[in-house]
Amino acid sequence: MRFAITILLFFLITAGKQPSEKRPWRLSGFAQGTTWHITYYATDSIVQQHPIDSILLQLDSSLSIYKPYSLISRFNQATDSIVTDIHLRNVISASLQTWKATGGIFDITIQPVTQAWGFGPIKVTELPDSLTISNLMHCVDSRYLSMKGTVLFKQKPCVRLDVNGIAQGYSSDVLAAFVESKGVTDYMIELGGEIRLKGKKYPGALPIRIGIEGPVESEFQPQMLHKVISPPDGAITTSGSYRKFVQSGGQTLSHIIDGRTGFPAKNELISVTVYAPDAITADAWDNSLMAMGLERALKTLQQQPSLAAYFIYRKKDGSIADTASTFFDKFMIEEKSRTRDTGN
Amino acid sequence: MSRRKFLHQAGALASGLLLHQQLLAAFGSGIQQTINIGFIGCGDRGRGILHIMRELPSEFRVTAVCDVLDFRLQEMLKDAPGVKSYKDHRKLLEDKELHAVIIATPLNLHYPIAADALAAGKHVFLEKTMTYNIPEASKLVQLAKQHPAQVLQVGHQYRYVPLYFKVKEMIEKGYLGKITHIDCRWDRNWNWRRKVPAGYSDKQVNWRMYKAYSGGLVAELLSHQIDFINWAFNTHPDEVLGTGGIDFYKDGRETFDNVQVILRYNKENMIGNFGATCGNSREGYIFKIKGTKGTVALLVNSGIFYPEPETRKELQVVDGVSGATKIEWNTDGGIPILKEQGKDGTWYALKDFYTCITEKKQPTSNVITGATTAVCVHLANAAAYTNTIQKWKTSYNFSS
Repeated sequence: MRFAITILLFFLITAGKQPSEKRPWRLSGFAQGTTWHITYYATDSIVQQHPIDSILLQLDSSLSIYKPYSLISRFNQATDSIVTDIHLRNVISASLQTWKATGGIFDITIQPVTQAWGFGPIKVTELPDSLTISNLMHCVDSRYLSMKGTVLFKQKPCVRLDVNGIAQGYSSDVLAAFVESKGVTDYMIELGGEIRLKGKKYPGALPIRIGIEGPVESEFQPQMLHKVISPPDGAITTSGSYRKFVQSGGQTLSHIIDGRTGFPAKNELISVTVYAPDAITADAWDNSLMAMGLERALKTLQQQPSLAAYFIYRKKDGSIADTASTFFDKFMIEEKSRTRDTGN
Repeated sequence: MSRRKFLHQAGALASGLLLHQQLLAAFGSGIQQTINIGFIGCGDRGRGILHIMRELPSEFRVTAVCDVLDFRLQEMLKDAPGVKSYKDHRKLLEDKELHAVIIATPLNLHYPIAADALAAGKHVFLEKTMTYNIPEASKLVQLAKQHPAQVLQVGHQYRYVPLYFKVKEMIEKGYLGKITHIDCRWDRNWNWRRKVPAGYSDKQVNWRMYKAYSGGLVAELLSHQIDFINWAFNTHPDEVLGTGGIDFYKDGRETFDNVQVILRYNKENMIGNFGATCGNSREGYIFKIKGTKGTVALLVNSGIFYPEPETRKELQVVDGVSGATKIEWNTDGGIPILKEQGKDGTWYALKDFYTCITEKKQPTSNVITGATTAVCVHLANAAAYTNTIQKWKTSYNFSS
């Protein structure tokens, strides 16, 4: 009898601890000029909309060059320094690391140049010529930045920052940290196409599936998925210029500006999807890999074991092809041509 | 000079002549021709066009204005000081220095004045709706054919606005899918009357209130949207239904202050709903084009595209989508069609009028398309005034 009761109690207790009791909860909103979605799997709706909106507003006040009152805007207007907050410090730190690792292709001091190309807060009426760019490039170099305690210094007043190439990734990480602080271990956060994910989806403890967008000609065409993947915990971001570009003399110019030259990147890559352990890293790398071109990108990735990437590019004959680096292949799940152990 | 050198240079000269047009364009204001303009009709619209024309000083020079009403003429001269002024349009047309005229008179005078202007050898910018009735539309088409060297442009300016151009492109590229329904309104909360100064009659100033002079709300307002649909789909309606009444402003007017017309496009399998009331302004101008893949909702100067939920079915098999530079959605789930607000439609229309005159081209809004829209307007009014369904006749299929 006692044995039976013990067994009964055991089942009752373990039944209460079944992970299959977790279910999806969804939040969504609008921030940083785009939409965000959070799906988290939990037994209760422990993450609410309001704190998420609050965090995103706070991030804007720190990092948005479209808000004149933000910290970054004030740094841009300052002559030599400002006192930073934790967000700006985190972003600067990651940016400087990526700047070194990409040989200067990723450079957040590129703002005067991105502005000149029309990708900044002020409208432009004509595109810059080489002379303008070479003049502006005197203000571009991350070595003009230095941190002392919480103060960020710039060596020249004309140094201005644009962290749009990394801010959404960082914001996804901040949201992820918040969600995890509530005790959630299974989630998918998407902000402007940048994704941060962890764990599994419930019910069923299934792998979380992420679609990689296929490049389409127009934002008015329905989104197409080029690939579907199930990555490990971490982040997925995609860079590409099939949506954001300027037209000049019959050419389309990418919005991805090479920090070494000040000119839009021009090579065979159409889009790059990067996996990294966190979104700030993935986001900092995706534009850089786009700017490098396929060959250099693949070579560079060999020195970055924690990163993996998937490329869509145009072959010399004009046809579209794709390829992947290192362990990105393992995430793909829609290919019928081979069997694999996805190792979830 | 050796023979080879001579041929080489002659070849260069020949190709140089071919490039002449491009060079002309490239040299800009140096060799640019300025068109001398006379205004016939100086009411609100005429003065409005004048203001916009002042933004194009290298293209147009206003040299003459004409109106039968003294006070209108005086108001116009304030904005165009020093130009010649006339009470009789025929005297204005005798001016040999004048190249083109802008006709912005009451609707019943459109045809006779346009006919006179064509006979006088002038280029014509004729405000919409093109003519007061269908027979006049037909006659004007014939007349314009007899004056092929002269440009006749009709004031359906949405054919020139970049936003509307883009929408036409979106329709043609299939982004909206199969379109079956169009919903247009142009509402206001106002009696649509102008102040009549002492010494003038109501009929002179408020011609819009009288059937003898005006096509009412349909001719003045809805004609824009009706024309756009004809253009975007390269079509015309096959059946027109309509109703209306003097429902609020029972002030002695004859034209309706509340109309609703339905245009059935059988070949395109579409229904177009066009309505206007003088009794509410909440919606103001709306223009919605609805297709299986998406909706376009237009205001005068801006537009938003709303994809249909079904188009996103593929995305439901995944939990998230990673893409480059996310589309900038509005907070209500729509995508703005153009990032920037454009200029007034009239500016673009006048620019094209200039190009057509100087480069001897046919305008996008021309006598044929203007006539087609005029027919639609008159069928709509006939339907509403006589409570009958109006059908398109083959004689309404004008060709150049």
